Amino acid sequence: MNKSDIKLIIIIILIAIIVLSMIAILNDNSNKQALVYYDNKLVLTIDLSETEKKEYLVDGYNGVVKIIALDGKIKVDEEDSPLHLCSKQGFIEHSYETIVCLPNKVVIKIVSSKDNDLDTILR
Amino acid sequence: MTKKRKFKKGVILKLLFLLAVFILILLAIVFIFKKVTAIKYKEYTKTLNYMDTVIDIKIYSNNENEANTIISEIEKIYKHYHELTDRYNKYDDINNVYIINNTKEIAQLDIDKDLYEILNYSVNWYYKSNELFNINIGNLTDLWKKYRDNKTGIPTNDELYRLSGLDIKHIVLYNDNKILTGNVNLDLGGIAKGYATEVAHHYLKSIGFERYLINAGGTVLAGINSEGNKYKVGLQDPDNASAILKDGDKEIKLNLSNAIITSSGGYERFYEFNGVRYHHILNPNTKMPANNMKSVSVITDDAMLGDVMSTTLFLMSVEDGQKFIENFDNVEAIWYTNDNKVIKSSGVQKYE
Repeated sequence: MNKSDIKLIIIIILIAIIVLSMIAILNDNSNKQALVYYDNKLVLTIDLSETEKKEYLVDGYNGVVKIIALDGKIKVDEEDSPLHLCSKQGFIEHSYETIVCLPNKVVIKIVSSKDNDLDTILR
Repeated sequence: MTKKRKFKKGVILKLLFLLAVFILILLAIVFIFKKVTAIKYKEYTKTLNYMDTVIDIKIYSNNENEANTIISEIEKIYKHYHELTDRYNKYDDINNVYIINNTKEIAQLDIDKDLYEILNYSVNWYYKSNELFNINIGNLTDLWKKYRDNKTGIPTNDELYRLSGLDIKHIVLYNDNKILTGNVNLDLGGIAKGYATEVAHHYLKSIGFERYLINAGGTVLAGINSEGNKYKVGLQDPDNASAILKDGDKEIKLNLSNAIITSSGGYERFYEFNGVRYHHILNPNTKMPANNMKSVSVITDDAMLGDVMSTTLFLMSVEDGQKFIENFDNVEAIWYTNDNKVIKSSGVQKYE
Protein backbone atom coordinates (compact mmCIF):
# COMPACT_ATOMS: atom_id res chain seq x y z
CA MET A 1 0.00 0.00 0.00
CA ASN A 2 1.47 3.33 -1.04
CA LYS A 3 0.60 6.95 -0.53
CA SER A 4 -1.92 7.07 -3.36
CA ASP A 5 -3.82 4.15 -1.80
CA ILE A 6 -4.10 6.05 1.47
CA LYS A 7 -5.24 9.16 -0.40
CA LEU A 8 -7.90 7.09 -2.17
CA ILE A 9 -9.15 5.72 1.15
CA ILE A 10 -9.35 9.19 2.63
CA ILE A 11 -11.23 10.50 -0.42
CA ILE A 12 -13.72 7.62 -0.29
CA ILE A 13 -14.29 8.10 3.43
CA LEU A 14 -14.81 11.84 2.85
CA ILE A 15 -17.32 11.14 0.08
CA ALA A 16 -19.10 8.68 2.37
CA ILE A 17 -19.36 11.26 5.13
CA ILE A 18 -20.66 13.89 2.71
CA VAL A 19 -23.25 11.54 1.19
CA LEU A 20 -24.46 10.31 4.58
CA SER A 21 -24.76 13.82 6.01
CA MET A 22 -26.64 14.94 2.90
CA ILE A 23 -29.07 12.08 3.40
CA ALA A 24 -29.48 13.11 7.03
CA ILE A 25 -30.06 16.76 6.09
CA LEU A 26 -32.55 15.87 3.37
CA ASN A 27 -34.51 13.67 5.78
CA ASP A 28 -34.47 16.20 8.59
CA ASN A 29 -36.83 18.77 7.18
CA SER A 30 -37.07 20.80 10.36
CA ASN A 31 -39.35 23.51 9.01
CA LYS A 32 -41.98 24.43 11.55
CA GLN A 33 -45.23 25.67 10.11
CA ALA A 34 -48.65 26.66 11.35
CA LEU A 35 -51.60 25.60 9.21
CA VAL A 36 -54.72 27.74 9.46
CA TYR A 37 -58.02 26.18 8.42
CA TYR A 38 -61.39 27.82 7.85
CA ASP A 39 -64.33 25.41 7.73
CA ASN A 40 -61.87 22.51 7.33
CA LYS A 41 -60.17 24.12 4.31
CA LEU A 42 -56.54 25.19 4.50
CA VAL A 43 -56.50 28.97 4.03
CA LEU A 44 -53.03 30.00 5.26
CA THR A 45 -49.64 28.46 5.94
CA ILE A 46 -47.37 30.38 8.29
CA ASP A 47 -43.63 29.77 8.59
CA LEU A 48 -42.79 29.55 12.28
CA SER A 49 -39.01 29.27 11.90
CA GLU A 50 -38.67 33.07 12.01
CA THR A 51 -38.35 34.75 15.37
CA GLU A 52 -39.74 38.20 14.60
CA LYS A 53 -43.34 39.09 15.35
CA LYS A 54 -45.77 38.86 12.45
CA GLU A 55 -49.49 39.48 12.18
CA TYR A 56 -51.96 37.70 9.93
CA LEU A 57 -55.65 38.28 9.27
CA VAL A 58 -57.99 35.43 8.35
CA ASP A 59 -61.70 35.62 7.60
CA GLY A 60 -63.68 33.73 10.23
CA TYR A 61 -67.41 33.01 10.40
CA ASN A 62 -68.05 36.02 12.66
CA GLY A 63 -65.49 38.32 11.06
CA VAL A 64 -61.76 38.80 10.89
CA VAL A 65 -59.54 36.63 13.11
CA LYS A 66 -56.19 38.22 13.99
CA ILE A 67 -53.30 35.79 14.41
CA ILE A 68 -49.85 36.58 15.79
CA ALA A 69 -46.73 34.49 15.16
CA LEU A 70 -43.68 35.14 17.32
CA ASP A 71 -40.56 33.19 18.14
CA GLY A 72 -41.85 29.83 16.86
CA LYS A 73 -45.15 30.21 18.66
CA ILE A 74 -48.59 31.25 17.44
CA LYS A 75 -51.76 32.61 18.99
CA VAL A 76 -55.12 34.12 18.13
CA ASP A 77 -55.02 37.74 19.27
CA GLU A 78 -58.48 39.01 18.40
CA GLU A 79 -61.71 37.36 17.21
CA ASP A 80 -65.42 37.86 17.54
CA SER A 81 -67.11 35.15 19.61
CA PRO A 82 -69.27 34.93 22.75
CA LEU A 83 -66.65 33.44 25.08
CA HIS A 84 -63.36 34.33 23.32
CA LEU A 85 -62.04 30.87 24.23
CA CYS A 86 -59.46 30.73 21.45
CA SER A 87 -57.95 34.16 22.10
CA LYS A 88 -57.83 33.35 25.82
CA GLN A 89 -55.92 30.16 25.06
CA GLY A 90 -52.70 32.06 24.30
CA PHE A 91 -49.65 30.80 22.45
CA ILE A 92 -49.14 27.25 21.25
CA GLU A 93 -45.83 25.86 19.99
CA HIS A 94 -45.98 22.03 19.84
CA SER A 95 -47.28 19.89 17.01
CA TYR A 96 -49.74 18.17 19.34
CA GLU A 97 -51.36 21.47 20.31
CA THR A 98 -54.23 23.06 18.38
CA ILE A 99 -56.23 26.24 18.63
CA VAL A 100 -59.90 25.77 17.82
CA CYS A 101 -62.19 28.76 17.36
CA LEU A 102 -65.52 26.97 17.02
CA PRO A 103 -67.79 30.00 16.49
CA ASN A 104 -65.42 31.27 13.80
CA LYS A 105 -64.81 27.79 12.31
CA VAL A 106 -61.06 28.50 12.42
CA VAL A 107 -58.54 25.84 13.44
CA ILE A 108 -54.78 26.33 13.78
CA LYS A 109 -52.44 23.34 13.81
CA ILE A 110 -48.66 23.17 14.02
CA VAL A 111 -46.65 20.82 11.85
CA SER A 112 -42.99 20.25 12.46
CA SER A 113 -40.88 17.25 11.58
CA LYS A 114 -38.33 18.06 14.28
CA ASP A 115 -40.93 18.26 17.03
CA ASN A 116 -42.40 14.86 16.22
CA ASP A 117 -42.10 13.49 19.71
CA LEU A 118 -45.84 13.36 20.42
CA ASP A 119 -48.60 12.57 17.96
CA THR A 120 -51.45 13.82 20.11
CA ILE A 121 -52.33 14.80 23.65
CA LEU A 122 -55.18 13.29 25.65
CA ARG A 123 -57.25 16.21 26.89
CA MET B 1 11.81 -7.83 9.41
CA THR B 2 10.82 -4.29 8.50
CA LYS B 3 9.67 -5.41 5.10
CA LYS B 4 7.41 -8.06 6.62
CA ARG B 5 5.79 -5.56 9.04
CA LYS B 6 5.14 -3.11 6.22
CA PHE B 7 3.44 -5.87 4.25
CA LYS B 8 1.15 -6.74 7.17
CA LYS B 9 0.14 -3.11 7.64
CA GLY B 10 -0.68 -2.92 3.96
CA VAL B 11 -2.97 -5.94 4.16
CA ILE B 12 -4.85 -4.50 7.15
CA LEU B 13 -5.32 -1.16 5.39
CA LYS B 14 -6.52 -2.91 2.25
CA LEU B 15 -8.99 -4.95 4.29
CA LEU B 16 -10.22 -1.78 6.01
CA PHE B 17 -10.58 -0.17 2.61
CA LEU B 18 -12.61 -3.06 1.29
CA LEU B 19 -14.76 -3.05 4.42
CA ALA B 20 -15.43 0.68 4.06
CA VAL B 21 -16.46 0.25 0.43
CA PHE B 22 -18.64 -2.72 1.34
CA ILE B 23 -20.42 -0.82 4.12
CA LEU B 24 -20.97 2.15 1.82
CA ILE B 25 -22.50 0.00 -0.90
CA LEU B 26 -24.70 -1.70 1.68
CA LEU B 27 -25.91 1.63 3.07
CA ALA B 28 -26.65 2.92 -0.41
CA ILE B 29 -28.63 -0.22 -1.27
CA VAL B 30 -30.65 -0.08 1.97
CA PHE B 31 -31.36 3.62 1.47
CA ILE B 32 -32.44 3.26 -2.14
CA PHE B 33 -34.50 0.18 -1.33
CA LYS B 34 -36.32 2.04 1.44
CA LYS B 35 -37.04 5.03 -0.80
CA VAL B 36 -38.26 2.90 -3.67
CA THR B 37 -40.45 0.52 -1.67
CA ALA B 38 -41.92 3.11 0.72
CA ILE B 39 -45.58 3.66 -0.16
CA LYS B 40 -46.35 7.33 -0.07
CA TYR B 41 -49.16 7.86 2.40
CA LYS B 42 -50.78 11.24 2.49
CA GLU B 43 -52.24 12.66 5.64
CA TYR B 44 -55.93 13.58 5.62
CA THR B 45 -57.45 15.43 8.55
CA LYS B 46 -60.78 16.79 9.58
CA THR B 47 -61.94 18.56 12.72
CA LEU B 48 -65.52 17.95 13.83
CA ASN B 49 -67.59 19.45 16.58
CA TYR B 50 -70.07 17.06 18.13
CA MET B 51 -71.06 16.05 21.67
CA ASP B 52 -69.83 19.35 23.02
CA THR B 53 -66.26 18.54 22.09
CA VAL B 54 -63.70 18.89 19.31
CA ILE B 55 -63.04 15.68 17.40
CA ASP B 56 -59.81 15.48 15.40
CA ILE B 57 -59.66 12.78 12.73
CA LYS B 58 -56.34 11.95 11.07
CA ILE B 59 -55.87 9.16 8.56
CA TYR B 60 -53.06 8.13 6.23
CA SER B 61 -53.93 6.85 2.80
CA ASN B 62 -52.50 6.63 -0.70
CA ASN B 63 -55.95 6.94 -2.22
CA GLU B 64 -57.84 10.21 -1.98
CA ASN B 65 -61.26 8.68 -2.64
CA GLU B 66 -60.71 6.11 0.06
CA ALA B 67 -59.61 8.82 2.50
CA ASN B 68 -62.63 11.02 1.81
CA THR B 69 -65.03 8.08 2.11
CA ILE B 70 -63.57 7.00 5.44
CA ILE B 71 -63.65 10.50 6.88
CA SER B 72 -67.24 11.10 5.80
CA GLU B 73 -68.36 7.72 7.21
CA ILE B 74 -66.73 8.55 10.56
CA GLU B 75 -68.37 11.96 10.56
CA LYS B 76 -71.76 10.32 9.90
CA ILE B 77 -71.24 8.06 12.93
CA TYR B 78 -70.39 10.92 15.30
CA LYS B 79 -73.28 13.03 13.94
CA HIS B 80 -75.74 10.14 14.36
CA TYR B 81 -74.75 9.46 17.98
CA HIS B 82 -74.55 13.18 18.75
CA GLU B 83 -78.16 13.62 17.67
CA LEU B 84 -79.38 10.48 19.49
CA THR B 85 -77.69 11.37 22.79
CA ASP B 86 -78.25 15.16 22.78
CA ARG B 87 -80.30 16.17 25.83
CA TYR B 88 -80.55 19.87 24.93
CA ASN B 89 -81.82 19.83 21.31
CA LYS B 90 -84.32 17.95 19.21
CA TYR B 91 -83.83 16.92 15.60
CA ASP B 92 -86.25 16.10 12.82
CA ASP B 93 -87.67 12.60 12.74
CA ILE B 94 -85.77 11.07 15.66
CA ASN B 95 -86.78 10.29 19.21
CA ASN B 96 -83.58 11.22 20.99
CA VAL B 97 -82.65 11.79 24.64
CA TYR B 98 -84.20 15.29 24.51
CA ILE B 99 -87.55 13.82 23.45
CA ILE B 100 -87.35 11.06 26.09
CA ASN B 101 -86.53 13.53 28.88
CA ASN B 102 -89.20 16.00 27.83
CA THR B 103 -92.05 13.52 27.41
CA LYS B 104 -93.59 14.01 30.82
CA GLU B 105 -96.55 11.63 30.48
CA ILE B 106 -96.04 7.92 30.97
CA ALA B 107 -95.95 6.45 27.48
CA GLN B 108 -94.22 3.91 25.26
CA LEU B 109 -91.77 5.67 23.00
CA ASP B 110 -90.22 4.04 19.93
CA ILE B 111 -86.50 4.75 19.76
CA ASP B 112 -83.71 4.04 17.29
CA LYS B 113 -82.09 0.65 17.93
CA ASP B 114 -78.68 2.36 18.30
CA LEU B 115 -80.00 4.50 21.14
CA TYR B 116 -81.66 1.43 22.65
CA GLU B 117 -78.28 -0.35 22.60
CA ILE B 118 -76.51 2.50 24.40
CA LEU B 119 -79.21 2.63 27.08
CA ASN B 120 -79.10 -1.12 27.53
CA TYR B 121 -75.28 -1.12 27.78
CA SER B 122 -75.40 1.76 30.28
CA VAL B 123 -78.01 0.13 32.51
CA ASN B 124 -75.95 -3.08 32.59
CA TRP B 125 -72.96 -0.99 33.60
CA TYR B 126 -74.83 0.47 36.55
CA TYR B 127 -74.81 -2.98 38.13
CA LYS B 128 -71.23 -3.80 37.08
CA SER B 129 -69.96 -0.52 38.53
CA ASN B 130 -71.21 -1.04 42.09
CA GLU B 131 -74.16 1.26 41.26
CA LEU B 132 -71.93 4.27 40.52
CA PHE B 133 -72.34 4.66 36.75
CA ASN B 134 -75.86 6.03 36.49
CA ILE B 135 -77.37 7.54 33.33
CA ASN B 136 -80.66 8.47 35.02
CA ILE B 137 -78.87 11.34 36.70
CA GLY B 138 -80.40 14.14 34.59
CA ASN B 139 -82.24 15.81 37.50
CA LEU B 140 -78.93 16.18 39.33
CA THR B 141 -77.11 17.36 36.18
CA ASP B 142 -79.78 20.01 35.59
CA LEU B 143 -79.63 21.26 39.19
CA TRP B 144 -75.85 21.66 39.13
CA LYS B 145 -75.90 23.10 35.62
CA LYS B 146 -78.27 25.85 36.77
CA TYR B 147 -75.70 26.93 39.36
CA ARG B 148 -72.75 26.45 37.02
CA ASP B 149 -74.35 28.63 34.32
CA ASN B 150 -75.09 31.40 36.82
CA LYS B 151 -71.84 30.93 38.77
CA THR B 152 -73.71 31.98 41.89
CA GLY B 153 -73.13 29.39 44.57
CA ILE B 154 -73.92 25.70 44.84
CA PRO B 155 -77.14 23.75 45.43
CA THR B 156 -78.29 23.91 49.05
CA ASN B 157 -78.32 20.78 51.21
CA ASP B 158 -82.11 20.99 51.19
CA GLU B 159 -82.25 21.07 47.39
CA LEU B 160 -79.90 18.11 47.15
CA TYR B 161 -81.81 16.18 49.81
CA ARG B 162 -85.16 16.74 48.11
CA LEU B 163 -83.81 15.90 44.65
CA SER B 164 -85.20 12.57 43.50
CA GLY B 165 -85.79 10.54 40.38
CA LEU B 166 -82.26 9.16 40.05
CA ASP B 167 -83.38 5.53 40.38
CA ILE B 168 -82.01 3.38 37.56
CA LYS B 169 -85.09 1.11 37.80
CA HIS B 170 -87.15 3.92 36.28
CA ILE B 171 -85.46 3.14 32.97
CA VAL B 172 -87.73 0.52 31.46
CA LEU B 173 -86.56 -0.86 28.12
CA TYR B 174 -88.35 -3.50 26.14
CA ASN B 175 -89.01 -5.03 22.76
CA ASP B 176 -85.54 -3.95 21.52
CA ASN B 177 -86.87 -0.52 20.52
CA LYS B 178 -89.06 0.93 23.25
CA ILE B 179 -88.59 2.95 26.41
CA LEU B 180 -91.14 3.98 29.02
CA THR B 181 -91.16 7.77 29.44
CA GLY B 182 -92.43 9.97 32.25
CA ASN B 183 -90.01 8.97 34.99
CA VAL B 184 -86.62 9.32 33.37
CA ASN B 185 -84.19 12.17 32.88
CA LEU B 186 -81.17 10.78 31.09
CA ASP B 187 -77.63 12.13 30.81
CA LEU B 188 -75.33 10.11 28.53
CA GLY B 189 -72.31 12.40 29.03
CA GLY B 190 -70.30 9.56 30.57
CA ILE B 191 -70.68 7.21 27.60
CA ALA B 192 -71.76 8.97 24.37
CA LYS B 193 -68.29 9.94 23.07
CA GLY B 194 -66.74 6.58 23.90
CA TYR B 195 -69.69 4.71 22.43
CA ALA B 196 -69.58 6.64 19.14
CA THR B 197 -65.79 6.24 19.01
CA GLU B 198 -66.14 2.49 19.40
CA VAL B 199 -68.71 2.39 16.58
CA ALA B 200 -66.15 4.26 14.42
CA HIS B 201 -63.54 1.73 15.58
CA HIS B 202 -65.80 -1.15 14.46
CA TYR B 203 -66.31 0.53 11.09
CA LEU B 204 -62.53 0.94 10.58
CA LYS B 205 -61.95 -2.71 11.54
CA SER B 206 -64.72 -3.89 9.21
CA ILE B 207 -63.04 -2.29 6.18
CA GLY B 208 -59.57 -3.40 7.33
CA PHE B 209 -58.23 0.16 7.57
CA GLU B 210 -55.47 0.68 10.13
CA ARG B 211 -53.71 4.02 9.62
CA TYR B 212 -55.76 6.37 11.79
CA LEU B 213 -55.65 8.52 14.89
CA ILE B 214 -58.86 9.96 16.32
CA ASN B 215 -58.82 12.36 19.24
CA ALA B 216 -62.36 12.87 20.48
CA GLY B 217 -61.72 15.08 23.50
CA GLY B 218 -60.90 12.75 26.36
CA THR B 219 -60.81 9.64 24.18
CA VAL B 220 -57.99 8.80 21.77
CA LEU B 221 -58.38 5.92 19.31
CA ALA B 222 -55.00 4.93 17.89
CA GLY B 223 -54.41 2.63 14.92
CA ILE B 224 -50.94 2.67 13.40
CA ASN B 225 -49.09 5.64 11.93
CA SER B 226 -47.95 6.26 8.35
CA GLU B 227 -44.86 4.08 8.89
CA GLY B 228 -46.82 1.26 10.52
CA ASN B 229 -45.57 2.15 13.99
CA LYS B 230 -47.16 3.13 17.28
CA TYR B 231 -48.39 6.62 18.12
CA LYS B 232 -46.96 8.59 21.00
CA VAL B 233 -49.73 10.01 23.16
CA GLY B 234 -49.15 12.49 25.99
CA LEU B 235 -51.48 13.00 28.94
CA GLN B 236 -52.53 16.58 29.64
CA ASP B 237 -51.66 17.96 33.07
CA PRO B 238 -55.02 18.66 34.84
CA ASP B 239 -53.45 21.75 36.45
CA ASN B 240 -51.89 23.20 33.30
CA ALA B 241 -53.64 22.81 29.96
CA SER B 242 -50.50 23.38 27.88
CA ALA B 243 -48.27 20.97 29.81
CA ILE B 244 -47.92 17.21 29.83
CA LEU B 245 -48.53 15.34 33.06
CA LYS B 246 -45.30 14.27 34.75
CA ASP B 247 -44.50 11.25 36.88
CA GLY B 248 -41.65 12.66 38.97
CA ASP B 249 -39.62 14.57 36.36
CA LYS B 250 -40.62 12.34 33.49
CA GLU B 251 -43.43 13.34 31.16
CA ILE B 252 -46.01 10.59 30.68
CA LYS B 253 -45.90 9.54 27.04
CA LEU B 254 -47.52 6.30 25.97
CA ASN B 255 -46.84 4.24 22.87
CA LEU B 256 -50.17 3.07 21.55
CA SER B 257 -51.30 1.12 18.52
CA ASN B 258 -54.65 -0.56 18.03
CA ALA B 259 -55.62 0.75 21.44
CA ILE B 260 -57.70 3.44 23.04
CA ILE B 261 -57.01 5.69 25.98
CA THR B 262 -59.70 7.70 27.67
CA SER B 263 -59.62 10.01 30.65
CA SER B 264 -62.01 11.52 33.14
CA GLY B 265 -61.16 14.56 35.16
CA GLY B 266 -62.67 17.60 36.74
CA TYR B 267 -60.53 20.04 34.78
CA GLU B 268 -62.44 20.29 31.50
CA ARG B 269 -65.75 21.74 32.66
CA PHE B 270 -65.99 23.42 36.04
CA TYR B 271 -66.73 26.65 37.87
CA GLU B 272 -65.31 28.17 41.01
CA PHE B 273 -67.25 29.47 43.98
CA ASN B 274 -65.64 30.73 47.19
CA GLY B 275 -62.31 29.41 45.93
CA VAL B 276 -63.58 25.84 45.50
CA ARG B 277 -63.79 24.12 42.13
CA TYR B 278 -67.04 22.41 41.20
CA HIS B 279 -66.79 20.27 38.07
CA HIS B 280 -69.27 18.33 35.96
CA ILE B 281 -68.77 14.67 36.94
CA LEU B 282 -71.34 14.02 39.64
CA ASN B 283 -71.55 11.18 42.10
CA PRO B 284 -75.18 9.92 42.14
CA ASN B 285 -74.85 8.81 45.78
CA THR B 286 -73.33 11.94 47.35
CA LYS B 287 -75.00 14.18 44.71
CA MET B 288 -71.76 16.18 44.70
CA PRO B 289 -68.95 16.46 42.13
CA ALA B 290 -66.59 13.53 42.69
CA ASN B 291 -63.37 14.58 44.39
CA ASN B 292 -61.43 11.35 44.85
CA MET B 293 -58.65 12.38 42.43
CA LYS B 294 -57.64 14.95 39.81
CA SER B 295 -57.91 12.61 36.85
CA VAL B 296 -57.85 8.99 35.77
CA SER B 297 -56.95 7.54 32.37
CA VAL B 298 -57.83 4.08 31.10
CA ILE B 299 -55.98 2.14 28.41
CA THR B 300 -57.87 -0.68 26.76
CA ASP B 301 -58.98 -1.87 23.32
CA ASP B 302 -62.67 -0.92 23.45
CA ALA B 303 -63.67 2.75 23.58
CA MET B 304 -67.14 2.07 25.06
CA LEU B 305 -65.62 0.13 27.91
CA GLY B 306 -62.85 2.74 28.29
CA ASP B 307 -65.29 5.63 28.61
CA VAL B 308 -67.59 4.04 31.19
CA MET B 309 -64.56 2.59 33.01
CA SER B 310 -62.83 5.97 33.37
CA THR B 311 -66.07 7.59 34.57
CA THR B 312 -66.58 4.74 37.06
CA LEU B 313 -62.98 4.90 38.33
CA PHE B 314 -63.30 8.67 38.75
CA LEU B 315 -66.28 8.07 41.08
CA MET B 316 -64.39 5.49 43.20
CA SER B 317 -61.46 5.89 45.55
CA VAL B 318 -58.09 5.07 43.96
CA GLU B 319 -57.78 1.95 46.14
CA ASP B 320 -61.25 0.67 45.17
CA GLY B 321 -60.44 1.38 41.52
CA GLN B 322 -57.20 -0.61 41.71
CA LYS B 323 -59.18 -3.64 42.93
CA PHE B 324 -62.03 -2.99 40.49
CA ILE B 325 -59.94 -3.15 37.31
CA GLU B 326 -58.55 -6.54 38.30
CA ASN B 327 -61.94 -7.96 37.26
CA PHE B 328 -61.30 -6.98 33.65
CA ASP B 329 -58.86 -8.29 31.07
CA ASN B 330 -56.84 -5.77 29.12
CA VAL B 331 -57.70 -2.72 31.23
CA GLU B 332 -54.89 -0.55 32.60
CA ALA B 333 -55.21 2.75 34.44
CA ILE B 334 -53.20 5.80 35.49
CA TRP B 335 -54.52 7.80 38.44
CA TYR B 336 -53.43 11.34 39.27
CA THR B 337 -54.24 11.91 42.92
CA ASN B 338 -55.31 15.08 44.72
CA ASP B 339 -51.83 15.31 46.22
CA ASN B 340 -50.23 15.16 42.74
CA LYS B 341 -49.04 11.56 42.77
CA VAL B 342 -49.14 9.35 39.70
CA ILE B 343 -50.29 5.78 40.37
CA LYS B 344 -50.17 3.23 37.56
CA SER B 345 -51.58 -0.26 37.28
CA SER B 346 -48.99 -2.95 36.69
CA GLY B 347 -49.54 -3.30 32.92
CA VAL B 348 -49.01 0.38 32.08
CA GLN B 349 -45.26 -0.14 31.75
CA LYS B 350 -45.68 -2.07 28.52
CA TYR B 351 -46.95 1.14 26.90
CA GLU B 352 -44.05 3.30 28.12
